[in-house]
Amino acid sequence: MPTPATSPAVTGTGATGDVIVVRDLRKHFGPVLAVNGVDFVVHTGEIFGLLGPNGAGKTTTIEMLEGLQRADGGELRVLGLDPGRQASQLKARIGVQLQTASLYPQLTVAEILALFGSFYPRALPVKQLLDALDLDEKKDARSKTLSGGQQQRLSVALAMVNDPELVFLDEPTTGLDPAARRALWDLIAGMRQQGKTVLMTTHYMEEAEILCDRLAIMDHGKLLDMGTVTELVGRRFKERAVRFDTIDRLTDAKLSGLAAVSRVAREGPETVLYTPDVPATIGALLSATEALSVEPSNLMVRRATLEDVFLDLTGRALRD
Amino acid sequence: MRSLISLTIANVRSFVRDRAALFWTILFPVIFIVLFGVIFSGGGSGYNLGIADQDNTPTSQGLVAAFTADGPLKPTAGTADDLLASMKLGKVDAVLVIPKGFEAAFGAGAGSTAPPLQLPLYVDPSNASSAAAITQVASAIEAGFEQHLDHVRPVAAIQTTDVQGGQLSASAFFVPSILAMALMQLGIFSAIPLVEQREKKILKRLSATPLPRWALVGSNIVLRLIIAAAQTIIILAVGSQLFQVRVTGNPLVIAGFIVVGAMAFTALGYVIASFAPTEESANFIVSAVQFPMMFLSGIFFPLQGLPDWLHTVASFLPLTYLGDALRQTMVGGVPFATLQFDALVLGGWLIVCLLISARYFRWT
Repeated sequence: MPTPATSPAVTGTGATGDVIVVRDLRKHFGPVLAVNGVDFVVHTGEIFGLLGPNGAGKTTTIEMLEGLQRADGGELRVLGLDPGRQASQLKARIGVQLQTASLYPQLTVAEILALFGSFYPRALPVKQLLDALDLDEKKDARSKTLSGGQQQRLSVALAMVNDPELVFLDEPTTGLDPAARRALWDLIAGMRQQGKTVLMTTHYMEEAEILCDRLAIMDHGKLLDMGTVTELVGRRFKERAVRFDTIDRLTDAKLSGLAAVSRVAREGPETVLYTPDVPATIGALLSATEALSVEPSNLMVRRATLEDVFLDLTGRALRD
Repeated sequence: MRSLISLTIANVRSFVRDRAALFWTILFPVIFIVLFGVIFSGGGSGYNLGIADQDNTPTSQGLVAAFTADGPLKPTAGTADDLLASMKLGKVDAVLVIPKGFEAAFGAGAGSTAPPLQLPLYVDPSNASSAAAITQVASAIEAGFEQHLDHVRPVAAIQTTDVQGGQLSASAFFVPSILAMALMQLGIFSAIPLVEQREKKILKRLSATPLPRWALVGSNIVLRLIIAAAQTIIILAVGSQLFQVRVTGNPLVIAGFIVVGAMAFTALGYVIASFAPTEESANFIVSAVQFPMMFLSGIFFPLQGLPDWLHTVASFLPLTYLGDALRQTMVGGVPFATLQFDALVLGGWLIVCLLISARYFRWT
């Protein structure tokens, strides 16, 4: 544990530059363990992602860090504060975007931003937020008339009203079309450029790969692995994946006997061969198919992705 | 404090922009007043005058016939006691008594020096303009009747008597009742936006800010009080313009009951919001609470003739006491000292509801 900063000049991020320190965090709802012994650390200025399917415990974890839910066990430090006991101090310094929270439907965008600004000792000017989130032309529109993408931008704007050091984003791009999603990605990347720390949850692999400096993969209330995308993939997959449409006569036994193949997997209609030596494996595969007088269709080679990491860790695919 | 003010402004804006809320809190009570006014005052023209003929002679019957003949007064015959009782129920607007000796007074002749015989006319002081109108018309008819008998010297004179307390005309009865109903609805309907804000996670989003919870609850109460003030002004304006209802009570006592009543029902709204899991169930509970309360609290019709157990139920309902207090103080001019029990019951409901919601209200 880093010792909490004692100097008033230090803003409480601790000596090691860790904004969030979580040790053996636990939370149960009745008999269900929603969060079961989670450990991680978020460094100053990074975008840290919690990746996992719905129901993995991501939202519960993030809400304990925000001071919205009480932890049942373990240690928590956010900006050097205890979210359980110092929630009001903490809330003034963090920005929060909640999953699927809607806003006052009858108020306009500018009114909602000014309202939330009034809750903080210090707030950014409404105009600046409207410009930053490209909501200026919607400032006088009631929030109920906004599109899904605009509502999501507004809820991200609300997470920035107090110019926070640390921003929590819970599934920020869920339900958005690809263009709106990309616009929001730019915005989140911009937060990092301003020196803010971001903790976000997502169940989109692509989003995690593009945005997050480091990731923790979560399922059933536990962290399964943690690191950069390269680390997560490299640690597990030295080899690449050769994929093609499954050919029934090529049994698992036959396939695993092919040159350099380390593992055979079936994904839907596809067969995946993992290999450290792609040319040798493809050569052997083509000989095998030629002997059967068939041609492998949709043959392709790719590096393993987070999707493969997740599949490897949990035995199932992330639902998109 | 700054957050309390900005949140209150946000609440007022949200409320004013929500047409349905405006309809139920402002327009609906006004429609009720007009509807009840038309039903109770029989088209709104003319007054019901009870006449108790205690003389029961040809001359006194002649006077009764003069009242019956024409004009804006609609006479009803009966004994003085019965008629005064119906006046309390708002069935008649005033009661005229023709005392024994009426005919004899006419027989006394021109040489008599006796003072004119007094005919008591009981009027409702809280309904000043109709009291004045009834007095004028009744005096004119009586004078005309004497002239008809060719008497030079006035034999009898109408003497108005204000009977203090409880002489509620129909309109004076239902205007405070509708105000009580409106305050009740205003308060318990606050459950619905609360549950909506919880379901839509607005409350959760607010609790992720440094906004203190007292400011959140406080702004809701301030909003309800602002609406209560608006309802009071509109209901009293409509009541006085259309039905000449005059407020005679102490404005401070009236305002005090309105504030305590609105807060007690708002606290009841929080209790409902504490136990309603969804907006739909909140709607259902609000209806299940408000309709029986409206009909059992005696605000629209007296509870006579109902079984005892319903009386017992009524004696626990806060609306019974708010309706009683507003009626008594607004049009009866009854001082606060006699309304302490009403105040006590309403205050009790407020405190109990606050305790229950402090214990069970969930923000997320």
